[in-house]
Amino acid sequence: MIYPKKNGLLRRVLKTYVHFILKRYFYRIDFNTIEIEPKKSILLVANHFSIWDGLVLYWAMQRLSAKNFYVMLLEETAKKEPMLKYGGAFSINKTSKDALQSLNYAAQLLAAPQNLVLIFPQGKLYSNFIDEVQFEKGILKIMEQAKGKFQLIYAATFIESFQHKKPIATIYLSRETNCTFENIEALTDSYQQHYNTSRQQQTKLVL
Amino acid sequence: MIPARRIKFLSDWFALYMRYRMRKAFNRLVVPPFTPKKGHSVLLLCNHFSWWDAFCCNYLAYWHLHRKSYAMMQEDHLQKRMLLNFFGGFSISRSSREMITSLQYAANLLNNPENMVVVFPQGRLISNHTTEIVVEKGLERLIKNIKGPCQIVYTCLLIDYFESLKPSVFYHLLDCGIAGELPFDELTEKINTFHQQALKDQLNVEH
Repeated sequence: MIYPKKNGLLRRVLKTYVHFILKRYFYRIDFNTIEIEPKKSILLVANHFSIWDGLVLYWAMQRLSAKNFYVMLLEETAKKEPMLKYGGAFSINKTSKDALQSLNYAAQLLAAPQNLVLIFPQGKLYSNFIDEVQFEKGILKIMEQAKGKFQLIYAATFIESFQHKKPIATIYLSRETNCTFENIEALTDSYQQHYNTSRQQQTKLVL
Repeated sequence: MIPARRIKFLSDWFALYMRYRMRKAFNRLVVPPFTPKKGHSVLLLCNHFSWWDAFCCNYLAYWHLHRKSYAMMQEDHLQKRMLLNFFGGFSISRSSREMITSLQYAANLLNNPENMVVVFPQGRLISNHTTEIVVEKGLERLIKNIKGPCQIVYTCLLIDYFESLKPSVFYHLLDCGIAGELPFDELTEKINTFHQQALKDQLNVEH
């Protein structure tokens, strides 16, 4: 497992670079503001369809709260992009026993109120046109371990260019008050509702 | 109405330039194998969701369907970009009586089997995530006025990112038969069924 590393200088370099590429590739990044409880950490659950969604959410969450950003990545991605560990990335290897270690680590991070952990429970890249999301079980373990210490936030991201050459990323955020789920299907259903309403709003955009 | 002043030399140069621009802007342009009927002009219907889609259709006309491409554009849009007039852009004004002249003009172009006319049946910019394609009634009149042999093709363009930082364009092509073969309502239904199927097929594309 790859742990995040603390290095103020490299973190700042990474932050500047992310801002630079987001400005270069996107016309605009839109997101809705939500209320965030300062005394609890954030578990951010999002859909995964490209490399951009992690970066775009990093940018948006920086504007919403001052919490320390952490993100769970697949081990292959974390090895390919070693710089990301300075931006708060830690890895998970779904096939090995290490996976449990990564889940425990995520739960530990959520115990501290100044942290934010972004997780893509879909576990791999899917198309942006997906109707039904499918979550992998691991996230429930994190939620059980960190029970009561975090607030759950759903994010659904869509990227479209509309009348511009460059695309616009639209992030729909919502806070889920219920943080205990009996099984993964219950969590998936709850996220699916948010995803469906976000998608409906996105399709209503007519110019 | 502004008729097209298509100049072959300029259009060929533009097609080459736009191919360069598109290859730079997109990761992949995935076009399924499709051969239009011999001796038929092509009426290309396309979902309208971005700045790029007309250029995607031009790319399809030049490098895959091998037809001279013309595109129907909103009058105010064309007036702002009169250069496109030399590459086959002609105007339609939805509110005025001249609309009928534009539809007749498009139908006349389609009497020549070397030509292809791009029409966005939705008439305005709608999100790529929409599941319903509303076909405006003007298209019925356009199809009725075509006298020569003309094949109607619907292309559903979908943008997805997957592992790349650049988006990829996925073309889904449907042969809607020869003009006048299908009643207008059936044509609309066929397009909608195909569009919904394309959205489902998109989930399983190779990436």
